[in-house]
Amino acid sequence: MKSIKRCQFVISLFIVVFILGMAALVVKIQREASFYMMNSGNHELGMVYDRNGDVLFDGSLEDSDRKYEDNYFIDVGNLIGDNKGQMTNTLVAKNIEKLNNYSFSQGLVLEGGKAAIYTTLDHKANRKVYDAFGGNDGCAVAYNYKTGEILICTSLPSLDVTKGYDNIADFRTGTLISKAMYGTVPGSTQKVSTVISALEIMGADRLFSKRFTCEGKYTNKSGDVIDCHDAYGHGTLDIQQAVEKSCNPFFAQLIEDDELPLSRLKEVYKRLGYAINGSESEYIDINGIQCEKASTTLNDPYEFKTQWGCIGQGDTLVSPVQLMMWQSAIANGTGKMTMPYLIDKVTNVHGRVTETAETSYSKALFSEDTADTMRQILLTNGANNYSYLINGYTIGVKSGTAQVDDGKKENSLLVGFVDDKALPIAFCILLEDRNSTSLKTENIAQVMLDALSE
Amino acid sequence: MNTTNLMLCAVSAAALDICALILILAAYVERKTSTKKWRRSTGGMELAEQNAVYPLDCDEILIGRHASADIRLPDISVSRYHAMLTISDGLWVITDIGSKSGVFVNGNLVQRAILRENDVIKVGTRRLVFRKRRDKRDR
Amino acid sequence: MTDNPISYFFSCLFVLAAHIAMLANVFINGNYDSITSVIVLSCAVLILDIAYFVFMLFFRQSSYTINFLLILVLNMSVIFQSCFGGVYFSVKHYITAIAALAACHAGYLLCRDYRWLQQHRTFVYIGIGILFIAILTLTGSRSMWISIGSFSLQPSEFIKPLFVLACATSVFEQQKKHRILCFNVVYENLAPLALIILICLLQWWCSDLGSLPTFAAIYISGFLLRICYPKAKFSKKTFILACVILLAAALAAMKFAPAYVQDRLHTDIWNNTDGSGYQQSQALIGIASGGWFGKGPGKGFLCNVFAHENDIVFATICEEWGLLYSLMMICVILIMIAVPLINPPRSYYHGTMAAGVCAAFTVQMALNIFGSCNMIPFTGVTIPFISAGGSSMMVSGFMIGMLNASLTPTIIHRKQRRQPA
Repeated sequence: MKSIKRCQFVISLFIVVFILGMAALVVKIQREASFYMMNSGNHELGMVYDRNGDVLFDGSLEDSDRKYEDNYFIDVGNLIGDNKGQMTNTLVAKNIEKLNNYSFSQGLVLEGGKAAIYTTLDHKANRKVYDAFGGNDGCAVAYNYKTGEILICTSLPSLDVTKGYDNIADFRTGTLISKAMYGTVPGSTQKVSTVISALEIMGADRLFSKRFTCEGKYTNKSGDVIDCHDAYGHGTLDIQQAVEKSCNPFFAQLIEDDELPLSRLKEVYKRLGYAINGSESEYIDINGIQCEKASTTLNDPYEFKTQWGCIGQGDTLVSPVQLMMWQSAIANGTGKMTMPYLIDKVTNVHGRVTETAETSYSKALFSEDTADTMRQILLTNGANNYSYLINGYTIGVKSGTAQVDDGKKENSLLVGFVDDKALPIAFCILLEDRNSTSLKTENIAQVMLDALSE
Repeated sequence: MNTTNLMLCAVSAAALDICALILILAAYVERKTSTKKWRRSTGGMELAEQNAVYPLDCDEILIGRHASADIRLPDISVSRYHAMLTISDGLWVITDIGSKSGVFVNGNLVQRAILRENDVIKVGTRRLVFRKRRDKRDR
Repeated sequence: MTDNPISYFFSCLFVLAAHIAMLANVFINGNYDSITSVIVLSCAVLILDIAYFVFMLFFRQSSYTINFLLILVLNMSVIFQSCFGGVYFSVKHYITAIAALAACHAGYLLCRDYRWLQQHRTFVYIGIGILFIAILTLTGSRSMWISIGSFSLQPSEFIKPLFVLACATSVFEQQKKHRILCFNVVYENLAPLALIILICLLQWWCSDLGSLPTFAAIYISGFLLRICYPKAKFSKKTFILACVILLAAALAAMKFAPAYVQDRLHTDIWNNTDGSGYQQSQALIGIASGGWFGKGPGKGFLCNVFAHENDIVFATICEEWGLLYSLMMICVILIMIAVPLINPPRSYYHGTMAAGVCAAFTVQMALNIFGSCNMIPFTGVTIPFISAGGSSMMVSGFMIGMLNASLTPTIIHRKQRRQPA
């Protein structure tokens, strides 16, 4: 009868809705169970491997275990991190869920779980670069600008995560962070950004026709003095020579030039990823790791602070990874950065691959013409000034010296790329307090490229 | 959790499953008997029209033109809610529920009447016969 | 005696088999100190089973399915509750289970003759009124609980079956209209509306909105089963208008809800695992660590969490018995309320009653399970029969009795007293 059918219809309506809800619940639990377990304080972690299968992190390691030789993990210690909670911006801390040896159907797998992260790093090469620093502080980062795989990312001082944090008070500043991810004063490597901006705004022909004279120092239009590192001056220079000599007065005059309006300069800087005048800075996400971008102060083209910022001192801060990524945009010849990544693939507890990396690019930061011209300038610089320092590679480079601690210390930087289809590497090397050592960034670059081309 | 324990879990789950299944089957068996019982206590009657037969499976049956009526007679002469069949003391009673054209049992206009076998009910222009259920083997 | 001895016999057998399998699981996988507790539990469960099978034979019903499902679920629940954090025999839950069985029979006997119920409908309203007054006067500090010594009672639970009765209606009633001013109204339709409004106000006053959705669902089922009779002045337009108003009211309620409700609505449990998200996050971790097949009876850790035996009982069972088994347990309850789909009621009144019971059960289960799993705000509603708690068990038993009554109605032997106008 219809009336009874109606009652039955209402009953089935309630039941069907409830069953749909239950189905959603089961799906939700299936998908999120691993996440729940990670919050329980009761988990079994898997491994992190490098590109050749070397272990970079072993989740099954107990505190007392001495399975690995001393300082085995030290070269990437503060990048890979661990699950102890002391370092939060590390690969393991940000991706700990992927290492969970747990599946809903099997529960916790105590032994033989295959959850692992396969990174793009090269442990051996990292080790060589780490050793090349020879106890000096700094960092080196290099990646394949065709694919985005980060091959080297080492930062000193570092730590052996297997030894625990009992003597954390004795750690030197910067031990627990990977310096490549944090802003540093870029020094003259900043001039790359300034040249890119000038090329974007004026065009190559106009820029190459510019000539400015350096007399060792330059008094700008507001009366402040910009010093050159060569007290005798470089004489009259064009842009190529200015880049090679890294001449500060040239760039100060370039900023003051009417053909380089500050508003346009700001635009290009913003596109490059700078946070200008204290605006909210964003992060580059490298598999969950937050990497700082760049920031600077640009107020008035005649002001010391602004000029000093465009030369790469003062308020300007750029992370080595960001410097390296700009090199990729130049080396690619497209003006698009290749986005770096650390995780090549992830396997779950059964060993099944759950995610694989894909190469991605940023949107265009500058035009292809600019990229080509810039590439040529850097390659010329490399051929003229570095071919005897770094043997065997066609490289485009720009060096920099950054004054930190109010000029008490000088950091040395080197950014560049290898112009070789077989070895498409973009890199950035930071050597802190360069005056305390005879080591040069070029030596580290040599070791790094040798290790990578093996 | 080893294999024996897992097996045991599966066995107890299976036992519950089978039990639920058996109880569902029992419900179907009971439907048959309760239908039989219902027919026995209500006289096993049905309403028949020329081309259609309406079983009387519940104790309030609404006759009318409206879509929600149990016996729907889509005829303009039938009111939307015309009459209602109810059962009381094993007897079927027809009641006029405010129809425009009235309810006729064996030709007499009634407000409320007890139905007997083979009574002819006229609702609007439609004629329905109240009769004993014809047993259909295929049912 | 029964009409179908064979199906009765097999039902008994398989219910026993299901319980024995469960007890065997407890015996082998369980976590217990001495074997005595398992033996006591087994004896209690099996004795209750057999006693109930014999007891039922004295009642001539045309359908026993619901009784079998009820004893199946109740004894399952006794076993579950006896295993939380180690096997021991939960006497309290056992007694409430027996009380639920008694309540089921009371509900059955009371509701089988719906005409009698309809004639005495005033008592339903009076009962609700008494409970209202009890809540307003006896419960301290605006709560829903009356404490008598160490025993506490939740009178709002008892409103549920009465409200289901108030929402049930027969076709005949829907045809009796009255005229107030220029509106045709049916008194039977106005009463539930007035009641639901009163209940809303009461719950608001008590700052306990947890069981409001249950009442709303009962009302909606009653409402849906009335709108099909336009004489009762519920046309499609009215229906859509009512929906819009309801939605607007719900949105407004969300926006202007008191602080504690807002808090529940916007809690991110994973950022708050020690505070307000503690129970839910622990429940989810429990489900995750249980997996499909569970850790084994008595081996869970959720028994250390507050309200593990009622508010997050689903998670506790999931942890110890596995998600699969818990889903099947829910399935058995669903089958119980789905029996009217197989074996249809014989009158509209019983049909609407069954729909009301079904609405109350599904919504309660949904609120509890989805709430404890962080899909909807967490409320302290119980799962019928599974959660511990005297009032909840008895009321659920009574409502299942109502459902049972709709399958075995008294065939009316009384003459209709009402004479035609």
